[in-house]
Amino acid sequence: MLDTTLTALADPTRRAILARLAAGEARVTDVAAPFPISLNSVSKHIRMLERADLVRRRVQGRDHYLTLNPKPLDEAADWIERHRRLWTATLDRLDAVLQEDDHG
Amino acid sequence: MAELTVTRRYDFPPEKVFDAWLDPAVARRFLFTTSKSEVVVCEIDARVGGRFNIVDRREGQEDIVHVGEYLEIARPRRLVFTFGVPQFDPTMTRVTIDIRREGAGCELVLTHDDVPPEWVEQDREGWTMILESLSRELA
Repeated sequence: MLDTTLTALADPTRRAILARLAAGEARVTDVAAPFPISLNSVSKHIRMLERADLVRRRVQGRDHYLTLNPKPLDEAADWIERHRRLWTATLDRLDAVLQEDDHG
Repeated sequence: MAELTVTRRYDFPPEKVFDAWLDPAVARRFLFTTSKSEVVVCEIDARVGGRFNIVDRREGQEDIVHVGEYLEIARPRRLVFTFGVPQFDPTMTRVTIDIRREGAGCELVLTHDDVPPEWVEQDREGWTMILESLSRELA
């Protein structure tokens, strides 16, 4: 799950799409407009974001609307936070162990 | 690319800090354990390609098995190993420890990333920053 999220994020176009959607729901055509690449290429990026469940699509008539789903981002941020705590505690314990041996 | 860095200063020479990671008698007291648990297995095969197996036991809970393989051992400057807890997640991640002499002590920088090697050259922009700014926007 985290891998899919990170692969999806490892591309500047896809990150720009997410940043755009962070501002609110948008039509596919509006999302694609600022990019100097074809609508087809942007669509491929969007599909990849959908597979990672970072983006969800709603169809209304002929318009396709996209919204950002922040849950996988929260999970990735959570992974970072959990491991930051783990290593901070580990490095502190290492210091305690070295001090102990030094004084013992 | 998920990457996190933790920095810490020690009043001990780099050699002493480096050796702590590979000496089972020392490692079992700080690595992959907590103040409320106890390491019951600490096997360290300290050579490139060698593996470690550290089992932490917490009262009334399932044993937690930490495994990995040493990728680089450059005493006392750098130690790189893979790391995973297969019972929770099949992905192996990578930990890099850089130690720099500083006066009578040293500074240790630990980098943990979950980037498979084939991604490394792909995109070096810190997506962590983007992730953080996105999270802020979403909060």
